[in-house]
Amino acid sequence: MSQVAASDSLSGLPKTRVTMSPARRDMIALAIVVAALVGVIQVASWYVPAYIMPAPAAILGALWVLLTEEWTQILVTVARLLVAAGFSIVVGTAIGCAMGMFMPIRPYLRSLVVIDSGIPALSWMLIAVFWFKDPEARIFFILTVILLPFYALNVHDGIRALPREWSEALGTFRPSRWQIFRLLILPHVVPYVLMTTKSIIGYATRMVIFAELIGSAVGIGAKMGLAQGSFEMATVLAWTVFLVIFNIVMQALVAAVEAHLLRYRVEAQAR
Amino acid sequence: MDEIVLDRVSHRFGDHQAVQDLSLAVRRGEIVAMVGKTGAGKSTAFSMIMGNLKPDEGEVRVAGLDPYAQFQALRGRIGVSFQTDRLLPWRRARENVEIGMQILGVSAAERRRRAEEWLARVKLADAGNKYPHELSGGMRQRVSLARALAIDPAILLLDESFSQLDEVTSRALRRDFSQLIRQLGKTCLFITHRIDDAVEMADRIVVLAAPARVALDIEPRRHDASTGTLHALVERAMAGEAAPPRAAAAGGR
Repeated sequence: MSQVAASDSLSGLPKTRVTMSPARRDMIALAIVVAALVGVIQVASWYVPAYIMPAPAAILGALWVLLTEEWTQILVTVARLLVAAGFSIVVGTAIGCAMGMFMPIRPYLRSLVVIDSGIPALSWMLIAVFWFKDPEARIFFILTVILLPFYALNVHDGIRALPREWSEALGTFRPSRWQIFRLLILPHVVPYVLMTTKSIIGYATRMVIFAELIGSAVGIGAKMGLAQGSFEMATVLAWTVFLVIFNIVMQALVAAVEAHLLRYRVEAQAR
Repeated sequence: MDEIVLDRVSHRFGDHQAVQDLSLAVRRGEIVAMVGKTGAGKSTAFSMIMGNLKPDEGEVRVAGLDPYAQFQALRGRIGVSFQTDRLLPWRRARENVEIGMQILGVSAAERRRRAEEWLARVKLADAGNKYPHELSGGMRQRVSLARALAIDPAILLLDESFSQLDEVTSRALRRDFSQLIRQLGKTCLFITHRIDDAVEMADRIVVLAAPARVALDIEPRRHDASTGTLHALVERAMAGEAAPPRAAAAGGR
């Protein structure tokens, strides 16, 4: 916190105003909201059965059990998410770059991506159950077909926004197409890849949970389905709390990677 | 020997005749300023020399080659600097200077050495690790010039490279740069709409007046002061007024 002297409009005398950083203010707001939610859950638990709303202590207890005894389920889900997201980043970026660099195939790829992005996630999940026997293949397929279009379309948009001046400047050295890709296009689309990752990480987490619920016997989604079937509401809520925290951590990790990779950028400040 | 030749070159964009019947030759080691108002056809001529535009009629030769048809053959022989620095924001100053050498396949150690040498020559020895946004406009333009020169091109093409800078910075940069070019013996063609740039830097001034005809071709050192100041003479030619016979004869080839 810092203290800022300001003039009192009535007396003209300086007065001391206390200010705080936006990050600290956000943390305090988050703590207040969490405390309020815990309070609401506690009050609700006094009036309804535990299978409707368990007490916060029971949820915390269940969360402890998950973290100490079910951590392999967490690892499985995280691994599935990371593998599928990593593959989608690489292949989606490659498709987006191909759309941006090769005019003849652009309309075909774009049509394919647009059709893919229009297919509901649930359809892909049901289709995957029919198409793939192996649960890992099912989940990988579901996540990939859902995430890929985001990367392809955003990277393509990024290439369309590439300043012509930069390609002209590089063109004066008469580079090969591969050199243009490596030295100009790839570094230019990095912010678009990161922006896409930031915006879909929560969605991707929800999708992997759904996919596990429908297509697998292991992983957080499968365990949540099992808990729901045996009326273990505390466990369902404990997994939910874990997923919220996991999403916040993932967002922070992507933000840290972004801060490192895009350190060359000047932060614009609006007045 | 002529390093850059435009022989009766014409180019049209739709209904607009950008360049018509333009002829120009730049000798090896010569610094030539192509001056003209906006729309005089300078940029179109420049694009044809760079090999980005094919003339509708006539012939362009750079180092004896057709820059459009033999685009890749001129790899590493032409260095270009533009009105804006066009530095890549994710590369530090030194890395920006290295990029042309990287494209030409120079080894990492060698291009680092040469980039540092060039940054020192343009008086930015301490700025190599800075990103473009950490540099002033003049410093960025110096990096851009170093990038063009670091590949050791025989020919330098400058497109209004000093016109976006303030007068003090621009003057200092023009002075340093013209000294450097002369020391290195490079052939240099630069286009500008600022007469001061041309008068201070060039061995020869070619004035284009719409529709891209050579209105004046003069060597400043042979300028006859009795025909008026060089500045006024160039200004009149830019406006499309006929040059006095003695002035026109001073450098025209």
